[in-house]
Formats: sequence, structure tokens, C-alpha cells
Amino acid sequence: MYAPLLANRYLTSRIIPFIAVAAVALCVALVIVVVSVMSGFLEMVRSSGKTLTGDVVVSRPITGIPYYEELLKEIEALPEAAAASPIVETFGLLQMPYGTGDGGKQIEMVEVWGIEPSSLDRVADYASKLYWRKPAGEPGDESAKEAIASLALDNPLRDPMFHRESAGMSMKDDRGEDGLVLGIEISPFNQRSRDGSYRTIDPRTGAQSADYFLPNAGEVTLTLVPVSERGSLGGEKRRKFSVVNEFQSGLYQVDANRILAPLGAVQAMLRLDSAPIVSTTEFGEDGRPKVIGESPRRATTIVVRAEPGVSALALRDAVKIAYQAFSSRLAKDPTRFTKPPLPDGVNIATWEERLADFIGPVEKERELMRTLFSIVYLVCAGLVLAIFWAIVQEKTRDIGILRAIGASRTGVLWIFLRYGLLIGIAGSLLGVLIAWAVVARINDIHGMLGSPAPLWLKVGSWLAVAGALAMAVRGVRRASALHTVLWSFLSIALILISVVLLLHHGFLVWDPSVYYFSRIPSSLDLVTAATTALGGVIFSVVGASIPAARAADTDPVKSLRYD
Amino acid sequence: MILAAEHVKKTYHLGRVRVPVLHDASISVAAGEWVAIVGSSGSGKSTLLHLLGGLDRADADSGPILFGGEDLRRFDAGRENRYRNRDVGFVFQFYHLLPELTVLENAMLPALVGLSRLRWMSERSALRKRTADLLATCGLSHRLGHRPAELSGGERQRVAIARALINEPKILLADEPTGNLDVHTGGGILDLLGQRHAEGLTVVMVTHDVSVAARAQRQVCIADGRVD
Repeated sequence: MYAPLLANRYLTSRIIPFIAVAAVALCVALVIVVVSVMSGFLEMVRSSGKTLTGDVVVSRPITGIPYYEELLKEIEALPEAAAASPIVETFGLLQMPYGTGDGGKQIEMVEVWGIEPSSLDRVADYASKLYWRKPAGEPGDESAKEAIASLALDNPLRDPMFHRESAGMSMKDDRGEDGLVLGIEISPFNQRSRDGSYRTIDPRTGAQSADYFLPNAGEVTLTLVPVSERGSLGGEKRRKFSVVNEFQSGLYQVDANRILAPLGAVQAMLRLDSAPIVSTTEFGEDGRPKVIGESPRRATTIVVRAEPGVSALALRDAVKIAYQAFSSRLAKDPTRFTKPPLPDGVNIATWEERLADFIGPVEKERELMRTLFSIVYLVCAGLVLAIFWAIVQEKTRDIGILRAIGASRTGVLWIFLRYGLLIGIAGSLLGVLIAWAVVARINDIHGMLGSPAPLWLKVGSWLAVAGALAMAVRGVRRASALHTVLWSFLSIALILISVVLLLHHGFLVWDPSVYYFSRIPSSLDLVTAATTALGGVIFSVVGASIPAARAADTDPVKSLRYD
Repeated sequence: MILAAEHVKKTYHLGRVRVPVLHDASISVAAGEWVAIVGSSGSGKSTLLHLLGGLDRADADSGPILFGGEDLRRFDAGRENRYRNRDVGFVFQFYHLLPELTVLENAMLPALVGLSRLRWMSERSALRKRTADLLATCGLSHRLGHRPAELSGGERQRVAIARALINEPKILLADEPTGNLDVHTGGGILDLLGQRHAEGLTVVMVTHDVSVAARAQRQVCIADGRVD
């Protein structure tokens, strides 16, 4: 019963254990903060990467999948699938409505997605990705309002928030013609601001201007090149479109390269729409080849959303089986002139499998950071070991007394292991609390670093410098070396802080106008927190174990001769 | 005889150098006796006391040390701990109190060593009362909550004596109990030991001070590791 009494007393009556607790707390907090932020970034990347793709993607590039409407119905009938949407993917050239200054007009190479907005919304929350929407309190909406505010009063786009949102969903412009939705980074005049929102600027003046706001700046021209089943290129197809909205997926590569167009329009331009099949041997009365069937419309991609609780892998397997049945059924159907590709010719993968090249390195980076920072555990164990070594050294006589009054080796061992355990538990809990406070407020802290220091803080810091210097001088006068050294160190530290505050005019480490994510992830990774705290406890006990074993082996006679 | 050492040898090893301390030392103590082991510094008297108290082990070719007929050399670790905890009580020249504990806690520490958590829960109040009563008999009832640093030398030694007696041992082993005290305070300590001896406690005391040794019933001289 003496072990808890002594362990608790040793813990609370000396300064060394508090230093050990602080060391463990800082180690634990450091690991949790770093891994939590990294995990947050990974989650952001993952959720951004999943944007507009659903959980499972069925793809057959270029020639596409015929009778895809039937396949969609069969997939949607699966218990694992919540919704499915067809897409035609291709590449094209987008000519902007403004010039490059040398007489030509700016042309961008883009990734083109022909989509069905309503079904894509069910699969991948398409509507939520539209950037110009009714103000809902989000930063982007506010800047959009500002961008539109400079339009002429009689301009029908004067109140475009609702209009653009609905136009983005219908993909129709004011005249009822097909319109495009562009990635928000495609227009070079969409400038990202520090708060992560976008505004349109005039490149000549750098000032905000609605003239370069694409949904208001005239038409863009899209050029696509159809490719035949044999791989030969057809003549290019050009078509003018209005820009009806812009979208933000959250992934720079997507937002800077992808445009969305109505599915039917892209199918028509790529000759993936339905077309009659004519006989090469039979002719009608008018002498023209006889129509013997119809080549169905095609989609190159089908994106599928899983039912809640169904994993992407389970959905992928179910879709594979569904596609095999679909392909097999149509292959045997003599009324179908066009056959869907065999299952081996179609790629069916989860969104993670498709983005493995992108997500993999980020995941590895996080694990690397976790591993590197886990070395901190060793620092933690080393600190506890060093501190306990000093404590055991200091407590040699006490250990001798305990052994002399009948304490067992195990009992002495347990005193110091328990001591280490208490330090580990206290340090780890404190570390989790510190990490939680830092992570929860990380954007505030970051914002504070990004703003100039307030006057009161600058004045206050110099007053603190004066006070510390006065105390140091007092130490010199009293001939107290410890007093002098401590206050001198504090004075130097305060002077450095005060100079930094004086020179600091705001420095954003994570500038949202440069980096893609506008906010630093601020949620504590609970699994990491729990494992790190446990690691802190274990390594504290490990650090304490060697000095504890040394204490247990202490010869009472030798230790009592210590005096 | 309650305690006896027969032809005991003890050699310390300082690196490669062998330092023989006890050569064929023999002593016997009867129950209820107060024996003073007297000798000059380095004569081996403290070493003999440590061997008698089970704090140290004699050489392999040493004779036995017997407690109530039991040979200490044959004690396993558990029996050795119980011997130190219950059968003997130790008082040291430099008190050796634990600075983080109060007077009360220091005095009841040996009792805590022998208590499980369960027994502590049930016997806590009784033990505290018993310790407080014992400290009161040592004149320390007003010092129960104090730390050793707040006590005088004499008071500290009284706490050490109370600690040695808390488990009601059969023998009290005292190593220069007055060696760090002035004559008057040392006299008080010897009075306390005498009082306990009068109540039937066996006392073996080491001292180099002849006047202190005179308080014992019997004096045993030790010189150059041999008991005369």
C-alpha cells in the first residue's frame, strides 16, 4: 500500500515530475496536431477527388457503351446502388470570348464532360458544386454578389444568383440554348482571394470587373474531334455556347481543366448520338441505302452512387456482375445490331482505385509524417528515462530505507513504474487537451499570425521587457546568480518577441490565394489522439522501467551509506 | 537466544581489492536483553548489525546467523523481507526519514509495506490511531502532520524509533542512535530506548561512545572484525 502513497507524493511534491509531464504533453500534442492536420488534408483531398465521380465508375473511353440507358436502369435496380448517371468524357479546345492581345482569342485545352445535371446531382451532388449560387452565407457567394453588382441596372443578369444556379442545373442559357459550366479556374480572370473566394478582375487594371465575368462575357467556342471505332479522327466539330455557370470541385486539377456540357450536345459533336444503320447492299425506292436499324446513343462513362452503408468495393462487385449480365444479354439479342463491349473491355473501378495515383502519395506522405513524428515518442521515452534516472539517483537513500523496512524489489519497482505511469497518463491527457485546443483554433491562430500585431500587444511586450530587465538588474544588485540568469534569459526572450511583434505585418503561412484549400483542417483525429496518448503512456513507462529496475536492485546497505 | 551470529565472516570487494571486515565474529543476544556493540570506527560493528538485521549477506564460508533458530542465510526473498519488516526494527544514525512524507506517514510506513490495498481500506483508521498513539509515547503528538525537514534532530530520531517499533518487532537494532545528537537530546533518545527495553523489547545497539554503551545491560567489544 506504500507504493501509491510514495508515487503520488513523489509526483506532487517536486518540480522534476512536472517537467516530465510537460515534456510528455508537448511530445503527444506535437504528434497529434501534425497528424490531425495531415489527416484533415488527406480527407479534403479524398473528398475533393471524389467530386463528381460517385463511388464507382464504369468507363469505356472513346467508343462508349451503347444502350447505356438500359444499363443505368439495371444498375439502379441493384440494392447496393442509390443512383447512376451517364457521362461522355473527351478532350477539346475552348476558345474564350476575349483576346490575348495579339489579335487572336485565348484558347484553352480542356477536359470535356457531357453530363445529365439532374442524374449527376443524385450521384455526386452536382448542384452543390455550382459556384455562382444564391447567397447562402458562404464566402464564394458574397464575392459573386460583388462581381455581379457592377452590372448595368437594366441588365437581365442583374440578379443572377438564382438565375445562374438554375441555369447551371438546366444547362440552358437565356435563349434556351445549351450552355456550358466551366471549372472556376479555367478563366484566368477569376482571381482567388485570401479568404478562398473568387472575384473577376480586369487584367489591365487589376480591379474587380464584371466585363470578364464569363457567365456574362459572351460566348465561348468548343471544338471537339470525334473518333471512330477504328481509331480514325473525324472532322472537328465546333460549336458556340454560352457559359451559364462555373463550378468548384475543390480539386485544382479538375477546376482548372474541366468543363461540363449537356450530354446530348457532346454526344452529337462526337457522333455518339443515335444514328440510323443503313444496308450496304439493299436500297430503297428512292435509291438511297435502306435503313435496317438504329445505332444507339453511347456514354463513355457511368458514375454510380452507393446506398448508405454500402462500401464502394461491394458496389463495384455488384456493378461488375450487372454489367456481365447486361453484356451477355445484349450479345445474344439478334435484334441488336450494335453490341456492348465485353466485360473485359470495360473498366469498372471504385473512385479510390481510379484516383490511386493521386491519393496514394498523399496517404504515404501522411504515414511518413506519422512515422517521422513518432520518433518524438523516443524523445519522450528518453526524457522520462533521463528524468527518472536523476530521480532514482536522488532517491537512492529512500530506496535503501524502503528495502531496510521490508519493501520487496517488486514493490520498489512498482513505485517507479507507477510513477512513470502517472507521468505518462497526466502528460498524455494534457497533450491531448493542448492538441485539441490548438487544432480547434488553428485557423484563428493562423489568422492572428496573418494580421499585424495590435498596438496594445506591442506596447505590452515592451513594458514586459522593461519589467524583466529591472528584475535582472535587481538580481545583479542582490548578487543572486540564479535570479540574474533567469531574468536575463526572460528579458532576451521578451526582447526577441517584442522585435518580432514590431516588425510583424501579417504573414499567412497557408495563403488560400496560393494554396488550394482555403482553411486548415481543424478537426482532431480521434484515433490518432487515442493511439498517441497510449503511446505517450507506454513510452513513459518504458522510459521509467530501466531506472525502476535499477532502483529495485539497489543494495540497501550501499544506499544507506550514501550519506 | 533470540539472535545469534556464529563465526561470521564478511568481506567487501572494492574493485579487485578484497577488504575483510569481519573475521570469525560471534555474538548471541538473549530475548529481552539490551546489548551494546562497541568499537572504534571501521571495526566492523555496523557491518555486524547489518548482517544481524538481514540487510546484508555474510560470506559464503561464514557461519550462521540465527534468529529464533532460523538461519538467515536460508531465507528466500519473501522471508527476508518479512524478517526486515516484522521481526526486527532498524534505527539509523542519520534517521533516514522520507522527506516527502509526514511524521505520521513515516512512522506507519513499515505497516503499510505489509498491508494489501484491501487490508489498508479496512485497517486504515486503526493503523493511523495506533501510529498516532505510538508517536504520542515518543512525545510527538503535536508533530503528526509535519515533514521531517520541520523537525529537530532529536524529534527526527524519535520518529525513526517509532517507525522501527510500529510493527512491534522482537528486536530493535540501533546503529549509533545518538551519534548525530547533542548529549542532552541523545540522553532523551536513550531514555526512550530504555523505556521500550523495560517493556520487554530486545535491543542491540551499536555505538562508539562508551557512555552511551553504559546504558546497555551488556557490552560487546569489536575490534578488527573480531568480537572480544
